[in-house]
Amino acid sequence: MPRDAFDVVLLGGGHNGLSAAITLARKGRSVCVLERGDRTGGMARSTQIALGVEAPEVAHLLYNLGPRVARELGVADLLETPPLPTVSLAPDGRHVVIEGDAARFADGTAHPDARAFTELSARLRRFAGILARLSLKPPPELDGGLTDMATLGELAGLARLGIDLKRLGRRELREFLRIVLGNAADLVLDEMPDGPLAGALCADAVRGNHVGPRSPGTVFNLMYRLGNGGAPRLPRGGMGALGEALERAARAAGADIRTGCEVARIMVADDRVTGVELRGGAVIAARAVLSSAGPLQTMVMAGVGHFDIEPLRRLRNLRCKGTVAKVNLLLRGAPAVTGLPDDMAPARLLVAPSVQAVERAFNPVKYDELPVAPVLEAVLHPPAGDGRCVLSVNVQHIPHTPAGGWDDAARDGLTGRTVAQLAAHMPGLAALVETAQLLTPADIEDRFGAPGGHWHHGEMGIDQILTLRPANGLAGYRLGVRGLYLCGAATHPGGDVTGLPGRNAARQLLGDGII
Amino acid sequence: MAATVPLGLVPTPLYSRLDALSRAKAWTGWAGYISPVVLDTAEFEYFAIRNQATLFDVSPMHKYRITGPDAEAVVNRLVTRDVRRIGDGRVGYAMWCDEAGMLIDDGTIFRFSAQDFRLCCQEPMSGWLRDACWGFDVALEDESDTTAGIALQGPTSFSLLAEAGLGAAAMLKPFDMAVIEPGLLISRTGFTGDLGYELWCDRDRVAALWDRLWAAGAQWGVRAVGAEALNLCRIEAGFIAAGVDFQPVHGALRLHRGRSPLELGFGKLVHFDKGHFNGRRALLRQHETGCAHHLRRIDIAGFKPAQGALIYHRKKKEVGHVTSGVWSPTTKRNIALAEFRAPFGKDITDDLWVEIYVSQEGQWDRRIVPLAIVDAPFFRHARARATPPGPF
Repeated sequence: MPRDAFDVVLLGGGHNGLSAAITLARKGRSVCVLERGDRTGGMARSTQIALGVEAPEVAHLLYNLGPRVARELGVADLLETPPLPTVSLAPDGRHVVIEGDAARFADGTAHPDARAFTELSARLRRFAGILARLSLKPPPELDGGLTDMATLGELAGLARLGIDLKRLGRRELREFLRIVLGNAADLVLDEMPDGPLAGALCADAVRGNHVGPRSPGTVFNLMYRLGNGGAPRLPRGGMGALGEALERAARAAGADIRTGCEVARIMVADDRVTGVELRGGAVIAARAVLSSAGPLQTMVMAGVGHFDIEPLRRLRNLRCKGTVAKVNLLLRGAPAVTGLPDDMAPARLLVAPSVQAVERAFNPVKYDELPVAPVLEAVLHPPAGDGRCVLSVNVQHIPHTPAGGWDDAARDGLTGRTVAQLAAHMPGLAALVETAQLLTPADIEDRFGAPGGHWHHGEMGIDQILTLRPANGLAGYRLGVRGLYLCGAATHPGGDVTGLPGRNAARQLLGDGII
Repeated sequence: MAATVPLGLVPTPLYSRLDALSRAKAWTGWAGYISPVVLDTAEFEYFAIRNQATLFDVSPMHKYRITGPDAEAVVNRLVTRDVRRIGDGRVGYAMWCDEAGMLIDDGTIFRFSAQDFRLCCQEPMSGWLRDACWGFDVALEDESDTTAGIALQGPTSFSLLAEAGLGAAAMLKPFDMAVIEPGLLISRTGFTGDLGYELWCDRDRVAALWDRLWAAGAQWGVRAVGAEALNLCRIEAGFIAAGVDFQPVHGALRLHRGRSPLELGFGKLVHFDKGHFNGRRALLRQHETGCAHHLRRIDIAGFKPAQGALIYHRKKKEVGHVTSGVWSPTTKRNIALAEFRAPFGKDITDDLWVEIYVSQEGQWDRRIVPLAIVDAPFFRHARARATPPGPF
């Protein structure tokens, strides 16, 4: 039997693991991707909701996968779809349509705050574009001193960032510094009265995180979402197609991808990674191991005794309370949205009627309770041949485990509330529902290994980004043991389906000269 | 809970004995407890340590018990030396570092078995040890307030023990420990570099133990001593003190105040070959690239104690300072521990000068005197190592 040995073993066949595999395999390294589940793609994969009908299992839109990285990973053609408009549903039926920097009412009339929105949105996008540059590289460490080439390179990168910020001009730079650490509610309500438009901005500022619009740092989160222009896109063929395309690209580059392989242990000898042991006892040797599992989980798999006490403590205290549930509804037919022309239906539908409503929906999760009127982001997917269609819904501000646990009553209650919330705008929706699938944050943790069931494997907050992601001293993707790296969403630049953490980690590994 | 006293400190179970003996009434705080600086005069007490037998209350020392199947693994990852090389029933001096390889504290490790260790140290360490134990199958107990201790030090200390009916301690070699009587653990350890023992028991039994030793000690010249005399002895023995010769890094507020075991001259206690321990990677880097500082024992010309003095190379360039400097009455040398900026103190050891300010009846004078670097402890005596210890 040939010895099972690779240059690199990757833990987890999610989009980040696959991105890392593509990056490494293209550089001629032998790569093995080990996926615990039966399919790759991670939170970007699709699931079969009924025979022959696919639905996006978790993520249903792309925001931050930029063209440059998409080309690098060989998935650019999937992104040649027009961006989806956003519709913020209003209780009075005067829905607001957002396309790029423009906002209007769904009936075509002008929105009184359209100009304020355009200015605010353009400004945030400008700031976001500058910050987005930082996401393409490992965050600066600057610990080598001025005689170290790597540090000089980092300094040069920071200098460019400084120049970019400077070029904003004094007024804009001051504005940037004024708002960057602030909360989204203040920022938005300074520019426009509360309502569906303001609510939509704030819903995007809190999406995926354990925050409300009044929480500090939410302006940064909003900018992060706008990093690549902010236009949500449905990849050609659906979200699942992206995961499949990444897998194809990785295989084409020569990566060995194995599903149904759960890693029991990361093997370490002489402070150097030597491979992994699978559940069942099989051993795969490797000179480097990249893990897209949670950082603490990765340390535990290798044995915590191989790590210093401080980083272990920091990772034990990583903020990662998952707060988004996924509801997939299989409908017998496409629902009509009151007040919305039929051609607007393939849009991103938001239920975030006001900033106050978003903040109010955040309150209960702090006490492990379910919101009465959760903030929703729904996408109606094109109907299958028989007219049935999938409505996929992200339900924000859902506790990992509510007080009392996820019993049937709690699960049905959440699905029911979600349907009721949407039915206010889609009369007769309840009767259309053929099947409803619910993934709570606890389910997401079980199924995808995301710590705390958190979309981003770790809260995106000022204390957990850039050089502090996942934690102070660990920003270089290295975990201490030579050859052991993190490559999941808990690392820089963070969550969403971007492939960037995986790609950056792979580049860091190559740069470190380990393989 | 013990009553507080006007000092704002808690009395140890031996406070009543010490207070009765104290002429100086000079107290200090040690880990929240009242501890004597001097009871009579530092000179009397110092000479008692070197010539007789002395008792010092070490009850305030922080004591932590780590027990369980993974105890050895936890302690070995905590400290820089390999505790697998410490035998059961032995005590080892050890240092532990943060992730940057900077010293958090030093202390003694009592190894009862691979599943049972006690850590004795100066600084409170509870939170740090809890973090160190996470993920391992061990129990951590803070014994600081439940276990008391008496340091019995001096050339007649064994004779005193024998007189008190504890002659079974005769078989203890340096750094051995044994339960000599039920509830009484004796270790042949100390902070003086001389023959000596430390006796450990429950806090409610320690006063009776003190009385027993005191009663047996009359003909062996027993005295109670305070921290000042002990400090003279520990410098003679070449031991370092937390907060004096190094700044415990968890308490240091400013950047770059930490020092590594390698910088403090304890490379022999850093066992890179034992597997991972906290700070290993940083220490290995430092081992390869070189230290930024060197703490050395120095012998200074003249007789004026050099505490705090600056050190110069070629009488011009400032390259370090004295961290602990005393006139050693026993060795009749002007001794000190001093920190040098590398490469001074290790690669450059000649043409080094100490600048000492002296006052002669109000007239200040500056003296630049040469120093010599010394490898061995200043004070060493065969009696400290003889087993069984000889009668004095």
